[in-house]
Amino acid sequence: MQTNSGEKMQRNIIEVSDLHKTYGKDVVAVDGISFSVREGEVFGFLGPNGAGKSTTIKILTTLLEKTSGKVTIDGLDVDRDQAQVRRIIGYSSQEVGVDDDLTAKENLLLQCSFYHISRDKANSKVSELLQTVRLADAANRRLSTFSGGMRKRLDLASALVSDPKILFLDEPTTGLDPQSRKDIWDYIVKLNRKGMTIFLTTQYMEEADVLAERLCIVDQGKIVSEGTPAELKAKVGSDKITLQFRADDISGCDKARELAEKIPGVEAVGQCREGVIAENGIVITAKNGPAIVTQIVRTLDGQGVNIQQLNLSAPTLDEVFLKLTGKTLNVIERKEAVGRGRRRRGP
Amino acid sequence: MMEMFSEVVAIFNRWNKKLVRRPILIFFNLIQPLVWFLLFTQAFSAIGKIPTFQLLTGTSSYITFFTAAVVIQTIASSALNAGIGLVNDFDNGFMDKMRVAPISKSSILFGRLFSSAITTVAQVAIILLIGLALGVNIASGIVGVLLMFVLAALFGIAWSGISVFVALNTKNAETTLSVGLLTTFPLLFLSAAVMPLGLLPSWVQQVAKYNPFTYIAQSFQSLIIKGFVWNNITNALIAILIVGVLSLGASILLFRRKIS
Repeated sequence: MQTNSGEKMQRNIIEVSDLHKTYGKDVVAVDGISFSVREGEVFGFLGPNGAGKSTTIKILTTLLEKTSGKVTIDGLDVDRDQAQVRRIIGYSSQEVGVDDDLTAKENLLLQCSFYHISRDKANSKVSELLQTVRLADAANRRLSTFSGGMRKRLDLASALVSDPKILFLDEPTTGLDPQSRKDIWDYIVKLNRKGMTIFLTTQYMEEADVLAERLCIVDQGKIVSEGTPAELKAKVGSDKITLQFRADDISGCDKARELAEKIPGVEAVGQCREGVIAENGIVITAKNGPAIVTQIVRTLDGQGVNIQQLNLSAPTLDEVFLKLTGKTLNVIERKEAVGRGRRRRGP
Repeated sequence: MMEMFSEVVAIFNRWNKKLVRRPILIFFNLIQPLVWFLLFTQAFSAIGKIPTFQLLTGTSSYITFFTAAVVIQTIASSALNAGIGLVNDFDNGFMDKMRVAPISKSSILFGRLFSSAITTVAQVAIILLIGLALGVNIASGIVGVLLMFVLAALFGIAWSGISVFVALNTKNAETTLSVGLLTTFPLLFLSAAVMPLGLLPSWVQQVAKYNPFTYIAQSFQSLIIKGFVWNNITNALIAILIVGVLSLGASILLFRRKIS
């Protein structure tokens, strides 16, 4: 392990090795997963419905018994040291575990009593948390009058009453409107800046991309790939640089093509006036897009070639997922929604 | 131990608050027992004229005798709700919130059961008041009524253990509800609640001896008709203890083990 760049970011606070979970005899939910989360980072678990994300997070939070494997949270074994693990974690489930008959304040005070926080401390903690999630004005309103976004924010606050070392979020923004989603993202970033380790699952590429420092892509109970979002993107593809020239500047395009091919780091240069570049342009692919762009601009400018339009696009996590699993997340989501509906018990 | 006490109090208060905010729930459970109280006793009032009935029960009023059966029905239907409440918690994610916190599983159950017992006592009080209005006389007086509340609360907790057990097993409201409803009536008719033991066919008498409803019914019947028959009250307490140890023991074991 490296020791040169600060002590905080280096320690593994979650370690999972060869985790298996089988429901009944033959329903395999988690099929040999291993990963570790460093202290102080936001770690993402990205995958479609049914990939094993919720099962994994439930095992990590002591809610579900694993079939086999080893899981340690801050050096504690999730099975043996269950009680201690519960003291240092916070958990916000997909279902939003709040009581609709109670007010926002009552919900948080109840949560405080689960952690044996004294009445005085609880009161100040609760008003502080209500401020943080912008629910101070609604403190004495019953949750039955809350919107989905408000309930989710309160749920997040309720996972924080004990100042957990590690916060587990199971699909924190599923079903929320864009503004509420942004709010939740902001809190997550803020909490992480204060040093909290955050483990989150998500089925949204964008969410993983924005929040996670490192992430695992999971599919059918297995980790398909692991790394920083940038690393994952680099694995599957290169950046695309599109250059466009004035319609009558045919020689400019040809000259640019010639010059671009000679720039070190460029992987391929397309033909002029080919395919989607309807007018007069070329597509250049390269691993390190931004650096290459600078060189191209400099070179072409030096040779008197005028670029009319330049566009740089990085591969998306969507492409990563497609390449790794052969399917796109969105299609899977839709299929799941039709095939299974939402998992809900009771009326 | 102190920690567990404060956990139980917190969860107990939560359920009480929920109940106070939806007071209509107190009356929902009462509808069915009330129908029986008002109609069944009218249709069967002639039973009170049977000399053997008068000899065995010490009253010629069937409705006075039947009050105990209505109380038991009320306790049983209130006990159902204990399990339903837990099923709702499983469904809306609140259960996971409690389970992920460092609190004892027993606290979650007892907080629920104690609050449910309060509801039961309130409902039994309403039934007894209606009984008084219908001309039922309570021989044991106010102290007897208080004793009935205690018995109702204790039996309510013990009987709730069964619905809690079903709820934890199935996590399904319909199943919990139907198991409760389907057991209450046969048990009522296979006990001394609807008819004194001596008037029941002999096979029913044999079954009734092993039916806890018999002992609860007899304790209430004697408190209403005769006064303090300590033998009956002791029997009721023993029946409650046996049911309670079995149902709550099984529920706690299941709850501790069952993780899903």
